[in-house]
Amino acid sequence: MKRMWLVALAVALIFGVCATGQVKTLYWNLASEPPSLDPNIATDTTSHQITKMLFAGLVDVEDETAAVIPDIAKSWDFDAATTTWTFHLRDDAQWTDGTKVTSADAKYSALRTLAPETASEYAAILFVIQGAEAYNAGTGSREDVGIMTPDPYTIQFKLNVAAGYFPSIAQLWVCTPVPQQAIEKYGDAWTEAANIVTSGPYILGEWVHDDHLILVKNPSYYDVATVKIDQVYCTMVNEASTQMAMYESGRLDVINADIPLEDMDRIKADPVLSKEFRSAPQLCTYRYGFNAKKPPLDNINVRKALASCVDRQSLIDNVLKGNQKPAQTWTCPGIFGYVDGVALGIGYPYDPEAAKKYLADAGYPGGVGLPEITLMYNTSQGHAKIAQFIAKGWQETLGIKVNIVNQEWGVYLNTCHTDAPQVFRMGWCADYLDGNNWMYDVFYSASGNNYEKYNVPEFDALVLEAQGSPDQERRLELYKQAEIMIAERDCAFIPIYFYTRNTLTKPYVVRTFSALNQEHWNRWDILPH
Amino acid sequence: MLEFIVRRVLWTIPVILLVSSLTFVLMKSVPGGPFSSTERPLIPAIKANLDARYHLDWPLWKQYLQYMKGFFTWDLGPSYTYRARTVEDILNQQWPVTIQLGLCAFLIALCVGVPLGVLSAVKQNSLIDHGSMVVAMLGVSIPAIALGPFLIWIFALKLKWFPVATWGTPAHIVLPAVTLATFYLARFARITRASMLQVVREEYIQTARAKGLREIVVNVKHAFRNALIPVSTIAGPAFADVITGSLVVERIFAVPGLGRYYVMAITNRDYPVIMATTLLFALLIVFMNLLVDLSYGVLDPRIRYN
Repeated sequence: MKRMWLVALAVALIFGVCATGQVKTLYWNLASEPPSLDPNIATDTTSHQITKMLFAGLVDVEDETAAVIPDIAKSWDFDAATTTWTFHLRDDAQWTDGTKVTSADAKYSALRTLAPETASEYAAILFVIQGAEAYNAGTGSREDVGIMTPDPYTIQFKLNVAAGYFPSIAQLWVCTPVPQQAIEKYGDAWTEAANIVTSGPYILGEWVHDDHLILVKNPSYYDVATVKIDQVYCTMVNEASTQMAMYESGRLDVINADIPLEDMDRIKADPVLSKEFRSAPQLCTYRYGFNAKKPPLDNINVRKALASCVDRQSLIDNVLKGNQKPAQTWTCPGIFGYVDGVALGIGYPYDPEAAKKYLADAGYPGGVGLPEITLMYNTSQGHAKIAQFIAKGWQETLGIKVNIVNQEWGVYLNTCHTDAPQVFRMGWCADYLDGNNWMYDVFYSASGNNYEKYNVPEFDALVLEAQGSPDQERRLELYKQAEIMIAERDCAFIPIYFYTRNTLTKPYVVRTFSALNQEHWNRWDILPH
Repeated sequence: MLEFIVRRVLWTIPVILLVSSLTFVLMKSVPGGPFSSTERPLIPAIKANLDARYHLDWPLWKQYLQYMKGFFTWDLGPSYTYRARTVEDILNQQWPVTIQLGLCAFLIALCVGVPLGVLSAVKQNSLIDHGSMVVAMLGVSIPAIALGPFLIWIFALKLKWFPVATWGTPAHIVLPAVTLATFYLARFARITRASMLQVVREEYIQTARAKGLREIVVNVKHAFRNALIPVSTIAGPAFADVITGSLVVERIFAVPGLGRYYVMAITNRDYPVIMATTLLFALLIVFMNLLVDLSYGVLDPRIRYN
């Protein structure tokens, strides 16, 4: 009942504002129906964008630096070993049903993510907490999970290992406090507009599935005074060309991703659109993995030859056209542990002569005698163009015959798991801002994301030490050594480029650019226009 | 006739069983699963939790029976992709939109295509005939993926007559309905023309003329009715086709219909949605074919159902 009053109040405020002609509505495209608005369950960026605005997080992040900042937790501290983290919550945050947001809600959220019956795909990210993995696997109890709530406004996490990066995990959706009362009352349907109880800057005013979703400013949000945009009208237009047409016809205020490649040259040449265009960094890296067990890729010099023969800048200028940054290392800029491979000379820059020499050293001068190499990607027009460009370079410079193959995504993942081709496309985007998410989570020998099947004990020891070390300087050095190992010494894959997100924003929208691709509309404004 | 209908309805049972079995075997044979949508494979314990939640750890025969029971009791279970929504929620909310769009498209196709074909046949080798057939040829040849954005460019961006996309008002229906209708319109026009040209050479038409009937009566009462038999043959499946949605048209115009779900369910390996939509579409096709067969008797009294 309280929530209904709040929605009514929010709507009344908007109508009131309408009457005075000052309503601020942001027209946004979500591109698809959010699969879930349940923070413990959502796995995709569309859902995360909305949940970020509906629920105040335990902690939050700065947009451009992604540095962790207070949200419901106004401060936090940790013990000397960085294995016990204590978050102190503000006492004025409340749910839209009028109850207070307390440490019990935060604990309930983390435990619900871990509960086997929730079947959350992101549960593993909390396995750093004591007893979490056992509880999720059904071998441990809920009571043994290392989360304590000494009082309604204090929550404590006990970790298995020292983890200086824990606040980066705490800012994730899986730790966002969720309303136990609504979840227990409505079950899976608790996220429907009529049932949902939230705590963030916006209320879910309306959700017409697969059509549109309206967020309305939440009058009970603890920091409502700073929220300038009254409502956000989200369409769900999936087709990039249609999205572009809607932006040009004034039906959208922002395009935050997926500007059609065909329009890029026109946008850059157009006097109006070029001013509205901006490439924002995105915390993702595009790579070509090697299956180093399959000949001739088992010869490191063949791998080095291929890695040295990728003209990344030309690829970006002529094919991608989105101001991406060439990558010679794995961890992308903005992540703790990033090293500038291009500046430091780590990895393999484009050098056709060196590539020819590596190939000759491998015993295949001019590519003579080298068997055909299979290059595989998951079916997509964009990946196809990249594959054709790179294969053309290998064929023309090195005389290598390349068999380009594509497979539908589900089939492709299965192929890469079971019998990866010699060269295959993969990407990775940050879950949190630490090198652990890039090195341990991807290239550690036992990682499920290690499609290269990279298995070097020396590397494993490095990333384990980096994971547990409280000494940040030491960790940086360890991650640098790890980069040198995978991207240069063992040439386990080819880093191709660091992603950017190409955006168009109407001049009357005052905005920030989120490095994590979760925009804070509560920090935006719309000027009179 | 009643016996014919009963016989055909009974035949639906093995058809549905065959379609459901084939669909089940095919979807389970395709590599990949419903929970491997990103580069990150799930760790075994989490995959086991998901399998347990959705009964994917059951033996295959039990899963099959579960889907079939769900279909006939209209309790189709949760979607794997949209976890807060059940499959019947999706069908109940999205299918009416698709039906609305499909009906409009079908009416446009029928009401424009058939008269165009008749006119072409009656004025054979005239400018009208050639013009109509060029339109029909273009309609068959231009795919919706090209026609849709072209219509948006002309009628939404340049002339500003209609909205670019999304759904909600009658104006939103026009462009997607025309895009969806064009292919069927062209087919109706071509088949009506060919059929009319064949019928007007029949002896009973010459008899009608010999009796001194006016040309319009000959064409409309005698020729047109008989020429409709081939048209009705394709109209049934075409109707089933348009009311089950089009991925391309729904995607271009952001129509919240069922067509997108059908295709995305296959990509996402959303098994309950695949099973439900496939069976529903199979039932529709069977039903429409039955209606087509029944229409033959109405259009041509010589046809009997025994």
